[in-house]
Amino acid sequence: MSDEINKSEKASKAEESFKNKINRQALLSLGVCVHCGMCTESCHYFLATDDPKMAPAYKADQVRKLYKKYFDWTGRLLPKWVGGGELENEDDLKELQDIVFGSCTMCRRCSFSCPMGVDKALLMRTGRSILTEQGYAPQGVIDVSKDQWEVGNQMGVTDEDYLDTIEWLSDELKSELDDPNAEIPLDKPNCKILYAVNPREIKYDPRSLLAAAKIFYVAGESWTMPTKGWDNTNFGLFSGDNELGAHMGNLVFDAVERLNAEVLVTSECGHGYRATAWESPNWTKRKLNFPIYNFLETMVKYVKEGRIKLDPSLNPNSVTYHDPCNLGRSGGITEEPRYLLKRSVSNFKEMYPNRQDNYCCTGGGGAMSMSEYAKKRLESASVKADQLKNAGAKIVATACHNCIDGLNDLIKYYKLGMKTSLVGELVAEALVFDKMYVTPVPRVEEFKQTILVIDDEPDVVLFLTTFFNDNGFNTLSANDDTQAIKILEKEVPDIITLDLIMPGRSGLNFYNTLKTNEKFKNIPVVIVSGVNPDNPGQYDARKFVYEHSLPRPDGYIEKPVNKELLLMTVQKCLELKQN
Amino acid sequence: MQEFIMHELQYIALSIMAVVYIAKIFWILSFKPAVENTPSAGNKRKAITMSFFSIAMPWSMESSRKKWYKWVEFVILHIGITVAILASFFIPESPFLMTPGIILFFQIVLSLAFVVSIVRLGRRMFSPVNRLISHPDDYFSIFVTLLWFFLAFFAMPMDKSNWMFTGYFVLTAVLIAYVPFSKMSHYILWPFSRYYFGKHFGHRGTYPKTKPNY
Repeated sequence: MSDEINKSEKASKAEESFKNKINRQALLSLGVCVHCGMCTESCHYFLATDDPKMAPAYKADQVRKLYKKYFDWTGRLLPKWVGGGELENEDDLKELQDIVFGSCTMCRRCSFSCPMGVDKALLMRTGRSILTEQGYAPQGVIDVSKDQWEVGNQMGVTDEDYLDTIEWLSDELKSELDDPNAEIPLDKPNCKILYAVNPREIKYDPRSLLAAAKIFYVAGESWTMPTKGWDNTNFGLFSGDNELGAHMGNLVFDAVERLNAEVLVTSECGHGYRATAWESPNWTKRKLNFPIYNFLETMVKYVKEGRIKLDPSLNPNSVTYHDPCNLGRSGGITEEPRYLLKRSVSNFKEMYPNRQDNYCCTGGGGAMSMSEYAKKRLESASVKADQLKNAGAKIVATACHNCIDGLNDLIKYYKLGMKTSLVGELVAEALVFDKMYVTPVPRVEEFKQTILVIDDEPDVVLFLTTFFNDNGFNTLSANDDTQAIKILEKEVPDIITLDLIMPGRSGLNFYNTLKTNEKFKNIPVVIVSGVNPDNPGQYDARKFVYEHSLPRPDGYIEKPVNKELLLMTVQKCLELKQN
Repeated sequence: MQEFIMHELQYIALSIMAVVYIAKIFWILSFKPAVENTPSAGNKRKAITMSFFSIAMPWSMESSRKKWYKWVEFVILHIGITVAILASFFIPESPFLMTPGIILFFQIVLSLAFVVSIVRLGRRMFSPVNRLISHPDDYFSIFVTLLWFFLAFFAMPMDKSNWMFTGYFVLTAVLIAYVPFSKMSHYILWPFSRYYFGKHFGHRGTYPKTKPNY
């Protein structure tokens, strides 16, 4: 009786929710575990830390204890005998949050190593689900989910920004292909393919969308992107919120039906593909009259049909492939990327273990949006870092934007000196055009604009100013916020690149000042920042975006700087500003 | 009394087990299964078959590839359990089957299973991970199994004057009645669990392990 009184309302509700969520598969995964520990060494969190509390069976037990207490026949009478337990208060909820969100990427590697067939990711997601309902989830997950509910995409990209970006990319495509008819079609009815992307491709890194557009162009594909329902990602998968999952699925499915497309193709995004192709039809309970493919499958089809030709010598660097968990273990796509890479790069090196046994990039399960767990994530990445190092390749290719971010973070953290690329980008690089490929010439006249470079490292300032000058920009530079403000008092630049990690909190403070000042708030700001080695999550891109109630930066480039991406981002910001 | 223990008591225990198991199967089936609302991308039938047989294919899972000794332990333990169960039927119902050769074979298996049980109990007690994930039921189950193997070993010669002979049958009855309420009932859940594992991942084409087809 006293237990009932002491139990917090949220804890009670979480338990009630748990009781209502158990289906047959979950019941079996909860009940069949014999605590043999065979799953232990399959988890990168455990392998990196040797912490028994990172063993998948232990983590699953933190959810399982509710099953033992409320479902297990013996546990109902003698809960302690079988490991039953309750959620008593907010501390218990927070502790469970740290486990199901902060110590597991739901990669399912342990599920494939379990002799009993326990799907621990299913249990983790159930745990996430009951916590999210009570508001216990990392802030990033809550914010992104809110954006998906309210704006319809995970990065809160407005319709105007989306249309401007697509228009700008179409211009880039025309210029690169030297064809005024080349375009990224929008809302074109009766096309063969409706292409749904990851908002990261719109907001921060449009190279993959441009690569896809080139491939569609060369293949002569009839395709379109929708103006509504273009986000293939789905945080319902990560938060355990099936309603959000259904909402996002419906947006995309409605777009396909509205535009009468024959096929839905999702861009290279592991969880986006899994959510759209496999989970959303279940969440929405819709019987779809169109098939759903991943862009990898589409590219394979083009190669097989001879619609695109590839020259591997155009990608001379050694390339290895990282299997995204949601494609390899949960999506059934492992051979397509290899088929493409073997034809697109001259030196493909397999990574071991691979396919269904591959290690997670450590950024899966929404981990990239959980900055509070960034340190733990990067520590657990030592296993992946060793795997990458042993692969001995210069480029890690993958087919997931989330993996790209996760891999980039760990590559920087462990100083591996590797680059990352999406498979489609390498395929686009290897495309053989019937007519001469035209390398874009920097549009000097068009972009004789001024960039203010703010960075506390003189070498970086020199590098960036030289780079921008070489590409036809005027530059100003400052080493801290005080200098920057003095410059702004005299001259208003067209765009600013800003390092967040400068002595004290000057980068963040400066951004605050800038964005709350009427005169300066419309200057586009591209954050050019790195990882703080002492506190990896401190100025993490996701943390910055999700945790500060400030306008989002117009671009976010992580160091070491990718020149192509930086130039593209700056050009995009300037064009959008002009529009 | 001994006759009662060897016969009626066993039947009572077996009846309890059967009733509880049947009830448990109905209970499992009372939970709605999640249903895939998409066309299958793989071979579900093959995947389900593979899922069941994965237990006999230690090479198919990384865990048993790397910890092959644990797989060997698993095999010995479960053969030991099978032998101990068979003996509990052979001795009272068909003692003629207990030839010296069979007795020797059973005793070898039981002694190996006993050793494996000690190793497993030790692992639960001393390995930090296993200790952390173990609950009283886990310790009790392995301990009672260990004791069962011990008593079964000495019961094999069928010397009814030996207290361990009677002890073996008493413990067999206790175990039979207790198993459905303990973690040892995992073998009732296991076929369902492996079935759904194979069905789910087979549907998505990720299981069995993909082989290059390009």
